[in-house]
Amino acid sequence: MIDAAHYLKAAWVLQQFALALPLLPAGASLALRLGSKLTASVGEAGDSLTEDMAGCSSFPILLEEERVGVLLITPAGEATRHCGPLLAHALQGMLQSEHARRAVARETIESYREMAMLQRAVIEFNHLLKPAAVAAALLREFDKLKPGADHGAIFLYDEAEEGRLELIQCVGDGAADIFSRLQAGSLFVDMVSHATGDIANDLPNSPWWTPELAPLGALMWLPLNAHDERLGWLVVASRRTEGFSAADMKRAQVLVSVAATALRNAQLYAAEQRLFQSFVQVIATAIDAKSPYTAGHCRRVPEIALMIAEAAHMAESGPFADFVLDDAGRNALEIAAMLHDCGKVVTPEWIIDKAFKLDAIVNRIDLVALRFELLQRDAELDLHRALAQDADRDAARQVYLERVRHLDDDFAFLDKCNRGTEFITDEQLARIRTIACRTWRDSHGATLPLLTENEVYNLSTQRGTLNPEERRIIEDHVVHTINMLSQIAFPRPLRKVVEYAGGHHERMDGRGYPNGLTAAQLSIPARILAIADVFEALTAPDRPYRKPGNLDWVLDIMQRQKLDGHIDGDLFDLFLSERIHLDYAEKHLAARGK
Amino acid sequence: MTYRDKDKPMGNPAKIVIVDDEVHIRVLLEQTLEDLAGEPEILTAINGAEGLALIERERPQLIFLDVMMPFMNGYEVCTAVRGNSDLTDATIVMLTAKGQESDRARGLEAGAHHFVTKPFDPDEILALAEAILEPS
Repeated sequence: MIDAAHYLKAAWVLQQFALALPLLPAGASLALRLGSKLTASVGEAGDSLTEDMAGCSSFPILLEEERVGVLLITPAGEATRHCGPLLAHALQGMLQSEHARRAVARETIESYREMAMLQRAVIEFNHLLKPAAVAAALLREFDKLKPGADHGAIFLYDEAEEGRLELIQCVGDGAADIFSRLQAGSLFVDMVSHATGDIANDLPNSPWWTPELAPLGALMWLPLNAHDERLGWLVVASRRTEGFSAADMKRAQVLVSVAATALRNAQLYAAEQRLFQSFVQVIATAIDAKSPYTAGHCRRVPEIALMIAEAAHMAESGPFADFVLDDAGRNALEIAAMLHDCGKVVTPEWIIDKAFKLDAIVNRIDLVALRFELLQRDAELDLHRALAQDADRDAARQVYLERVRHLDDDFAFLDKCNRGTEFITDEQLARIRTIACRTWRDSHGATLPLLTENEVYNLSTQRGTLNPEERRIIEDHVVHTINMLSQIAFPRPLRKVVEYAGGHHERMDGRGYPNGLTAAQLSIPARILAIADVFEALTAPDRPYRKPGNLDWVLDIMQRQKLDGHIDGDLFDLFLSERIHLDYAEKHLAARGK
Repeated sequence: MTYRDKDKPMGNPAKIVIVDDEVHIRVLLEQTLEDLAGEPEILTAINGAEGLALIERERPQLIFLDVMMPFMNGYEVCTAVRGNSDLTDATIVMLTAKGQESDRARGLEAGAHHFVTKPFDPDEILALAEAILEPS
């Protein structure tokens, strides 16, 4: 039924009537009714004219072969018989062209609508990088498009398991429940087995109806296709049985085509991210695996660094009031913290793990030679012991004991020096040299100093177990870290990773390595990473060069490091005031006691 | 959405004037606005001068005004309407070409209230007209 009532304006119809009146007898009345409405009338009886009124001539008004109204004229007669069809024909012609014009306009308005929707959707969808965010945006747009839809859901195919659909996002009252029941039924299997989407109105009277589908009245579903790949489905549901029209479907298709492309891009982006993260993970695991002592260091430092960074981000006053940690910054700091020691991959592990000053990659033939020498001397000793039966036993014994005590004493001293737990004084250095001057005879009968030059050199290391050359090699790991990370083509948001990771051994006073940067030259995240590295190293269960210390001992050392310009004082204060050490200890150190 | 609810009773139907020299914009805008509740009276003019005369005579609540028109452009009509103390109730929506951001600045200067780019989004037009006419 065409609603033609408002196709013709009363003023225009009255003009037509005015043109016709002179052709009709005086006192004639005219009326046009379209649908149930009186569009226009002239003459005394005009308003009250009806088809069944005696003496009233009626001329049907047709549009698209359908009767949409009637032209009424009184009185009947010759003039009316000629004039009526003429006027009806003119009105009909106008209606026809108005009808056509409106149809064209409606189509144009609809394309405007689609175009506007497309523009909005392209802008809204294409900058989203997370599949779930695109799904949410699609449902939001759809809600604007079709206010009658009560529930909406996006199902995506599982990337790992072929053919499995996962409910990613849904909207509407009780939607999660409704869609999971839908997904469990046979209708859903049928829906997603086809290449195209469809509409199912009047569900309760359809062959698919099962009580589980309540309260759904109608469904519309569309595949999310990008290129040649099916990513998933958009499913919308209405409680009303006449929920969806072909026009809804057409508009939804426009929306879905844009969303699917954005979704595919988001999925590719997420896959790239996962690929990169897994590479970072592999490198971090390799570094940790290199030394049993530092196992987990590359896993724990990011955790501590992020705890400090979050605290700095939350600070509303003080030195970090302006510090902002956005998603990109958080990601960069985490990656830098995971990779900060990657240069250790090229550091020889015997240096990383050097527990004693005399530790080295040993050629064990020397030790074997030593053992042969000792056995030979034992034999010699036995021989002499037998021969000397007649000597002054007591005096000889006294000399022997004195020598042994002296040897024991010297060895105990060297053994202690070898551990590197205490600072070696100048006096002790002299004693090492004195001991070294003693001689022994090797298996070839050669007289040699008790300690080789290299042994004296290593034992004379005043602090720790690493001699200067070895310390240089260890410090070089940061240089290697910087060189390695500089070769990675980090995208813009991750450019800072090299700076953060490469600064973890710098000191606030500029005496750190490798670049001697000062606090002012180091970014806050770089300083955070430096503190996290120190804290993790000090709280780690075991290190080759020391036993694990308790938390008080750790904080004591860090407090001293703050005072002598090693670590950032403001960050250390924040670290303490936000009780990060306690949170961390609770999570990781509880088992060992504090 | 309420604009589809044509049976809603209202007092005097609102008056809307469309001034645009392009016939398709007049036709499309008029037909779009027919979906508004309360069946507002929609009047059209084909140039600036005729538009201003129509506005002064009919005192519409809402005016859609094209920028580029013969015999007074949109800015001039807008300035004239805003300068007329009898027409303070009228809300002026200027129709600008896509990408012509400078139109917007000049329109604001002339006193326009809203801007819609052509080709217009029918839903945006309806939502805007509804928001403007609803409180009356």
